[in-house]
Amino acid sequence: PEETVTSSFASFIHAVRPEHLSKTVRHRSKRMILDSIGVGLVGSTTHVFDIALQYCRLYSSVAVSSVYGKPGIKLSPTLAAFTNGVATHSMDFDDTWHPATHPSGAVLPALLAASQMLPPGAKPNGMDFLLAFNVGLEVQGRLMHFSTEAHNIPKRFHPPSVVGTMGSAAATAKLLSLSTAQCAHALGIAASLAGAPMANAATQAKPLHIGNATRLGFEAALLAARGMEANPLILDDIAGCSGFSAFYSIYQPKPLSTPSDRHEFLLEKQDIAFKRFPAHLGMHWVVDAALSVRNLFLNYAGSFSPSLIRTIVLKIPVSKYINRPFPSSEHQARHSFQFNACTALLDGEVGLGSFTESSIHRQELRELLDKVVVEHPEDNVANFDKMYGEVALLLHSGDVLTGKCDTFYGHWRKPLSKESLLKKFRSNASHVLPEEKIETIITMVDNLENLSDSSQL
Amino acid sequence: QIYSSDISSTIWGHLDFRLPPLYAAFVNGVAVHSMDFDDTWHPATHPSGAVLPAVIALAEAFPGEKKISGLDLLLAFNVGIEVQGRLLRFSSEARNIPKRFHPPTVVGTMGSAAACAKLLALDQPKCKNALAIAASYAGAPLANAATQTKPLHVGNAAKHGLEAACLASQGLQGNKQILDMESGIGAFYTDYNPQTLPTLQSYPWLLDQQDVAIKRFPAHLGTHWVADAASSVRRKLVESSDNLFPLDKIEKVILKVPEVKYVNRPSPASEHEARHSFQFVACSALLDGSMSVQSFTSENVHRPALRELLRKTQLEHPPDNTPSFESLYCEVSVTLQDGNTVTDRCDTFYGHWRKPLKKEDLEKKFQSNVSSILPAEAAEGIIETVYNLEKVEDCSVLSMFLSGQSARALSEKLHL
Repeated sequence: PEETVTSSFASFIHAVRPEHLSKTVRHRSKRMILDSIGVGLVGSTTHVFDIALQYCRLYSSVAVSSVYGKPGIKLSPTLAAFTNGVATHSMDFDDTWHPATHPSGAVLPALLAASQMLPPGAKPNGMDFLLAFNVGLEVQGRLMHFSTEAHNIPKRFHPPSVVGTMGSAAATAKLLSLSTAQCAHALGIAASLAGAPMANAATQAKPLHIGNATRLGFEAALLAARGMEANPLILDDIAGCSGFSAFYSIYQPKPLSTPSDRHEFLLEKQDIAFKRFPAHLGMHWVVDAALSVRNLFLNYAGSFSPSLIRTIVLKIPVSKYINRPFPSSEHQARHSFQFNACTALLDGEVGLGSFTESSIHRQELRELLDKVVVEHPEDNVANFDKMYGEVALLLHSGDVLTGKCDTFYGHWRKPLSKESLLKKFRSNASHVLPEEKIETIITMVDNLENLSDSSQL
Repeated sequence: QIYSSDISSTIWGHLDFRLPPLYAAFVNGVAVHSMDFDDTWHPATHPSGAVLPAVIALAEAFPGEKKISGLDLLLAFNVGIEVQGRLLRFSSEARNIPKRFHPPTVVGTMGSAAACAKLLALDQPKCKNALAIAASYAGAPLANAATQTKPLHVGNAAKHGLEAACLASQGLQGNKQILDMESGIGAFYTDYNPQTLPTLQSYPWLLDQQDVAIKRFPAHLGTHWVADAASSVRRKLVESSDNLFPLDKIEKVILKVPEVKYVNRPSPASEHEARHSFQFVACSALLDGSMSVQSFTSENVHRPALRELLRKTQLEHPPDNTPSFESLYCEVSVTLQDGNTVTDRCDTFYGHWRKPLKKEDLEKKFQSNVSSILPAEAAEGIIETVYNLEKVEDCSVLSMFLSGQSARALSEKLHL
């Protein structure tokens, strides 16, 4: 009988084994785990995280799962996943993939919480954990390939809320060793928990998208484990009655190959981008371009003198939710080409401190922002694989200085070196953890395959 | 049940355990939609199940001294219903039976958030944020209808709306134009034209102009037309056949219904599928004369006489039979081996908003539903309390009855 798309996914989740992971995939996914933990830890210092935590503490019985950055506190597993997911995306500092989504934040918190939930005799080892994590990534990637819409920066539904929820369900189902049928139902239930509109991006509610993706996917797996059933064709394309296809206008699903054939994980062919500063990925191009033109300007004028600048021209792709001339909150600032370009010009760098209230509202920055003009060249496609950023300084003297960035450092075409990744992790984690703990985590993740009890993580 | 803690709310029908409000709302919402027995509105959604469990659970969660009156509850409930109705009117897609997203998951979540925000007496900015946050929880695909997961849609709508209101109350902010933007709630529709609400001066409530339909048996609303037409055909057949139902003499059964894929199931295998099958309900009603909760038990779903009749049943989709609860009809024709055909048509079934259930019949449905779960006094207590809700000073009495406690302090609490 012809296999349905849905059942091929269920079979994959159920039957894939550690041996199926290639070296590249293991390496890349461990980098993602480390970065995600670091980002979650620094995220535990944010206001949105506080709100999520206070809310969840109302419901803490069976409190077995840890919370990033809060050693004394434990929450129930799904709420811990929620809170840690919110932390991970709270500053928009987490990883980004192509097609576009934030894969790790939707999966890692659920796995960490679930591993603490399992009884002592049944704790998953590091290899199981790494495998489940990769299942969660792979499912997200495969689902995004079902629609050409997914290749460009999103407009309607925020991808982590669509595919992230499914990835979390798949990963948790794997960690909990659900049967093939249960894996299918976990996906089916998760679909009914997926899907948040883009409008909440650039607001304080956006981190909830990742928090909910990881939590609700986890819940779906727990429900499936208890026997709840959903539509066994949820990923297939059924005319007249939408399943997962509801989230896309074009949808062409394909079955997954079983892991017994040489299954190639998407992470093998397509690496992830890690952010160097906490803002939307698109910002990283304009910042690198701005830094480059700033150097030219310093050579030209000796110091950074904004009064010499008449106009700043940004050449960027069309994307409404990241085009903000005068952002008024940290969330908006993280989603503003203009803000990030000007901050880079003014300070010579963009970091955590760039998004504080005082930084956002400083006079010199507002003055620079006033000079910005935005252009959308036709060849600048709203797509993380193809876009570029160009910053041109038109000086009063008539001279023009330009900087262009095709591939920022941290993009998958120019991945962060091991040192840079560790530097980011140490910097993030040091906000809430002492040095020995930081080094322990680094070592543990590096040797994840050999860890006997992943709940130690 | 794994998440119980100190703050707790009633699980309807259970005295033995309680759950935190969020999970009480969820579980009770699941219960409400578990048999597809709950109300349906036009444009199509199941309005009450997404709102009532949330507001009742929330009302129980206020700190000791603060009392929520029956009138507060009634108002919050109506806010939740009204918001749903208004949102449904922002898209022409909503007027027909859905195909992509299950409406309770879209508007129900928003309604629950609105109702809870009202009960929490949030200020205007926080009400806005409650709606914005709720939007990020909204939307489940239709494909899980007719499966065991469907009841979760209403449970989650209630739960997530409540959660959104609570998060807003704690200061979380979302997009202030969530209802205005295409990339907000508009994301769930292909055409979306939002409008501002009328001013509160003599406010025109939608429930005033458009009543709900109440189901007489637990199945998809579309099957109610089928049941009434089929029952009527059965009566005629029985009259002309010596008061016996001529099962063996039936050649074929033709149902003229609108085209609604997720209710077209020639051979349902589970109770969930049977509740979403024109064919199943037609044959059941032909065999038994009427539909009830019992029609969907495993024995009845699988009985040979029914399966035999199902094999003889076909659907036709006349072009004038539009898939809208406002205008659809059903025609049942049974052709016998001797060539005779008996037909009847139903345009408006009893329970539809054009032919609403009488008070006695509504109460009969209620009593029949709760008789094996609540003691008689609790059942009576609920009926009395709800009819006099505006006068109830402390609506916790409702929750007391819902958990099955008897109406000892009935008159005291009601202050009649």
